[in-house]
Amino acid sequence: MDEASFTASAALSVGIELELQLVRPHDFDLSRDAGDLLARLAKRKLPGAVKPEITQSMIELNSSVHEGCTGLLEELEAVRGAVAQDAGVLNIRVSGGGSHPFHDWADRRIFPNERFRFVLERYGYLAKQFTVFGQHVHLGCPSGDDAVFLTHMLTRYVPHFIALSAASPYYQGEETSFQSSRLTAVSAFPLAGHIPFVSDWGAFLEYFSHMKQFGIVQSMKDFYWDIRPKPEYGTVEIRVFDTPLTVRRAALLAAYAQSLAAYHFAERPQQPSRTVYLVNSYNRFEACRYGFKGDMVEPYESRKKKIGEDILDTLQRVAPYAARLGAGELLAELAAGVRTGESDANWLRAQHAAHGSLADVVREASARWEKGK
Amino acid sequence: MLGFLPQLPPVLSHAALFGALVVLGLLVGEAARRYAALPRILGYVVAGALLGPHALGLLSDNMLFDLRLLVDLSVGLIVFELGFRLDFKWLKANRWLLVTAIAESLFCFWAIFGALLFFGFRPLLAAMAAAIGTATSPAVVMLVVHELRAQGQITERLLLFTAVNTVFAYVLLTLLLPFLHLQHQAGWEQALLHPLYLLWGSMLAGYLACVLMLRLAAWLGKSEERQFILLVGMVVVVVGTAHALKLSVSLTLITFGMLARNLDRGYAVLPVHFGHGSQLFFVILFVLVGASLEFSAFSVAAAAPVAIFIIVRFFGKSLALLAFGSPSGIRPGGAGLLAVALVPLSGSAVVMVRDTTTLYPEFGRELAAVVLSAVVLLELLGPIATQFALRRAGEAHPDG
Repeated sequence: MDEASFTASAALSVGIELELQLVRPHDFDLSRDAGDLLARLAKRKLPGAVKPEITQSMIELNSSVHEGCTGLLEELEAVRGAVAQDAGVLNIRVSGGGSHPFHDWADRRIFPNERFRFVLERYGYLAKQFTVFGQHVHLGCPSGDDAVFLTHMLTRYVPHFIALSAASPYYQGEETSFQSSRLTAVSAFPLAGHIPFVSDWGAFLEYFSHMKQFGIVQSMKDFYWDIRPKPEYGTVEIRVFDTPLTVRRAALLAAYAQSLAAYHFAERPQQPSRTVYLVNSYNRFEACRYGFKGDMVEPYESRKKKIGEDILDTLQRVAPYAARLGAGELLAELAAGVRTGESDANWLRAQHAAHGSLADVVREASARWEKGK
Repeated sequence: MLGFLPQLPPVLSHAALFGALVVLGLLVGEAARRYAALPRILGYVVAGALLGPHALGLLSDNMLFDLRLLVDLSVGLIVFELGFRLDFKWLKANRWLLVTAIAESLFCFWAIFGALLFFGFRPLLAAMAAAIGTATSPAVVMLVVHELRAQGQITERLLLFTAVNTVFAYVLLTLLLPFLHLQHQAGWEQALLHPLYLLWGSMLAGYLACVLMLRLAAWLGKSEERQFILLVGMVVVVVGTAHALKLSVSLTLITFGMLARNLDRGYAVLPVHFGHGSQLFFVILFVLVGASLEFSAFSVAAAAPVAIFIIVRFFGKSLALLAFGSPSGIRPGGAGLLAVALVPLSGSAVVMVRDTTTLYPEFGRELAAVVLSAVVLLELLGPIATQFALRRAGEAHPDG
């Protein structure tokens, strides 16, 4: 089974994918200009890649593979500048954020390629409702067994990833009261959720081949899990992040994930545990709904903690590894934000309070993404 | 006799006739769309033409005159929305865009002007006809865009270029007025002050309206309902005022729209969505436009210049777009489609001709011979061209 053979990659190498919103300035609804913008960007020599996504209202930035997140950040800043400039020429605004606050899903147009047509055919309105914007972080693993181990270990931190990136308080024109409403759109897919509790790569392959025999999946791509091994890249892919409002924050989140991986690979402080999956959906909900202020059940100590508090504790624990990866300052910045309760979702709400309409929120968010601050 | 019974046949009020007109326009429009895959707008125009003074005569010239305010109001709303879509920031970020837009107007003007001179028209007549021919119809373009729910690069440029060539045509036409006055032995005061009054007056009126509306919108707050009413109310007032002051309604309203968009530093005005309301105005407008089309303007003698007018006009626009389209970021193949989309000739050409006619009837009639038959033709061909181009560009909504 070629597809499932694990391509080894350098441990802890890091890369990200960033789904971005394309917005039209006259009313700040989503635009349909992905094709034109991509054609324009194709003429530039950019690091990484810029790709179409499922609807014509989004593009996806793929970074190249990095050893550390300061290099990643530099690259992202350069690409951001180029994208913002070309978008300006075409009168398109580009924005971060996990959801567009008020677009009407029925208006979305699927990008015309085979895979996306298949997804639309298969999932109907879910595919169009899936016009939400996430950041994926890839972490390199030397072997399939390492990937399975890391997937299990990182699942414990899913509420952290959600709270730190939450940037979708508005959805379909409504204040959702959630910090991240985006994940609800993902949960509707039948193959959403998490990896089964398998102990190593061999067991995982067995599970995969069963699912394939049943005809439930055709490829690894069909699993819409929060965290999944990606054998063709030799990585573990974390998919629960909302796209943050700046590329800088995208790099901070990647640095956090990378430091966590370094800590777990080096110290192996815990072993995979079923309890993690037992409490996962509760923790996930709390993080989506309340962000840092939510409760989470700490699966290894079996006690409740505030998510924000648990993030700060964890940041302290992984600080030596972050320093070794050159990401000490980035994580310090992340921690400072958690202490003051800053999040992109709160920032978006503040814009709404200050300006009074969701169109204003989109305008301010795109100005922020384009400037990078 | 039973006194409570009405006289036979009953005498219907203008309002009732007008309502019937709207319903009929709507039905014919829907039929055009369902059975012939034509833009609804054609149905509205045909319905109007059938009912109009030149065919069945249910709509008399007098009634058309009474309803002129509605036409102005509809045009006012449309032109305002068009102006509101024109974003100076885009022109700043993309310098080639402004070059393309101006070239589009200039090339088109010179092409028509040259061709008409070649056909032996007097320079002033040729210049005025060419100026009128430069403008793309804001109403047709907006209606087709609404109907197809089109969006994308070609659509945005179509709206932008339409706004620019509309302004260009008005300004140029106004600047030609002195020559017209002088040719007719008017005093130099008249020749000089009339264009100045028209241009500066219209722009000033647009500016004042904008300042007032921004204040009021800021006070009202961000409620779509309240702002919608404010907007419609303001447009009605401004249209009426422009009329009363004998200013150019279109120039005033497009200035109003443009400035409302670009001077709104505090973002007080919400994005304009006229919604179903705008559809109603479109039906009214095009039924009335259909009714006032002057089929009698057709004559065999004018056929050649009219054909040349239409062809040369298209080539002028195409040439500019092909020359400058690519650096301004139009995708390959897009320039041609854009030129096709820009074909509709402004129905307000009729108004411009009429205004000239009231000043100098003889000259007006000569102008009408060329321009009005082109209007008749392009009123029918234009919407089809725009619809075709936007569909072909892949920017129409599948259900649109």
